[in-house]
Amino acid sequence: MDFRFDIIAHYLPVFLRGTLFTIGVSIVSILIGSVLGLGIGFGKMAPKAIFRWPFHTYINFFRGTPLYVQILIVHFGVIPAFYGTTNVLLTSFVALSLNSAAYSAEIFRAGIQSIDPGQREAALSLGMTKWQAMRFIILPQAIKRMVPAFGNEFIVLVKDSSLLALVAAPEIMFWSNTMKGQYLRIWEPYLTAALIYFILTYSLSKLLNYIERKV
Amino acid sequence: MGWNKKWAMSAFVAVLTLTLVGCGANNNAGSGSAGGETIKFASDASYAPMEYMDTDKIMGFDIDFINAVMEEAGMEHTVTNTGWDTMLTSVQQGTDYQAGISSVSITEERKETYDYSIPYFESTNMIMVKEGSDITSALDLKDKVVAVQGATTADDLMSGIMGIDNTNLRRFDSNAMALMELNAGGADAVVADIAIVNEYIKNNPNEKLTGIIDKENFGSEYYGILYPKGSELKAKLDPAIKTIIENGKYTEIYKKWFGEEPDTAVLLSAE
Repeated sequence: MDFRFDIIAHYLPVFLRGTLFTIGVSIVSILIGSVLGLGIGFGKMAPKAIFRWPFHTYINFFRGTPLYVQILIVHFGVIPAFYGTTNVLLTSFVALSLNSAAYSAEIFRAGIQSIDPGQREAALSLGMTKWQAMRFIILPQAIKRMVPAFGNEFIVLVKDSSLLALVAAPEIMFWSNTMKGQYLRIWEPYLTAALIYFILTYSLSKLLNYIERKV
Repeated sequence: MGWNKKWAMSAFVAVLTLTLVGCGANNNAGSGSAGGETIKFASDASYAPMEYMDTDKIMGFDIDFINAVMEEAGMEHTVTNTGWDTMLTSVQQGTDYQAGISSVSITEERKETYDYSIPYFESTNMIMVKEGSDITSALDLKDKVVAVQGATTADDLMSGIMGIDNTNLRRFDSNAMALMELNAGGADAVVADIAIVNEYIKNNPNEKLTGIIDKENFGSEYYGILYPKGSELKAKLDPAIKTIIENGKYTEIYKKWFGEEPDTAVLLSAE
């Protein structure tokens, strides 16, 4: 089979721009997602069922529907409703952050609940407040356990961001589709995209292994 | 319990095997049936009125056209909705599908990868804007936000005018989504084939849309049947296409879908 490296070379500069977009959107979204996720995770652990309910619903909705559908709803529904018109950058951040928040919430909840209740009881019996026990005793231990799960979530998010091509966000898959359109060829654009994603996620997982060993 | 599990596993494996064998048998029947070969066409049926799905049935101008051509050529055929990408790869390989019919415009760049039939349809791209827009020609789109379906000639044309790496040229997966983007205010204009734009304006009278034809910047383009490189089908079907254009069958189909007479002289001289 003929494989045209010349058209890949021609597209390399825009692929690099797409890669920067993908990285940028993923980093911002994982950060916003984890802040939201922390709140939602705590919400889901609220002592009264009535307070837990909204957070529970949120997590179930975002984990129970495909990101594909979520991106379309956010782009053509939510953003125009609040912002007036569609905006692809807003869609990228909002859709990925909201989705990531649901998974982060579960990571936080699982991490916190994995700490032996005795730790909390001991902290309280030493005279710490509930907040102090959480801040100084439980969270530091829990976060250490959460690192691998967050790493996975970040890698998944980088790959899932490819779905943003659906609404023409200028990320890696968008340029891959553009290349396909110009030449009506499949292998060169898709394999290039696959290779870039692989390099991204592989170096990311190496970095995460390093961080896991450090903490 | 253990026995049940084993039994369930064997049943599962048996069903899987049967399915695989079944698929294999179907494929054989498809390509080597007695009484002449069945030609399998692939299509991306999301392009009304050219080709689209009416629930599970494939319809459209292209479908009626290829039915007439195959009848004229005295050959059996099927048309399957495979989506655009599958059509491109499988027609390039030529094993699962021997040809593609999907309003594919004939361009020089694409000829490097595929063979085409003689032209069977004349089309042009058209700009669609909301009423009251200050856009009057394709060149006005240069610094605007334009939505197109990616991998179409509208994409090619606008890439030429705006620059292929311009992110204001927003490429969507389908024309439907490009049109939604225009409606939601995310784009100033949509560029698409004239048949698509007219169909959309006709179906959405409340959205206050206008179509702009720009013959100067958007020249005529011609659709062709897509073949793998070196396909023998071209030699068999080109005469049939010519015959139905000349004997009025083509005009009949054209009138059914577009309500007007085609310019067949242009088509016959375009090859």
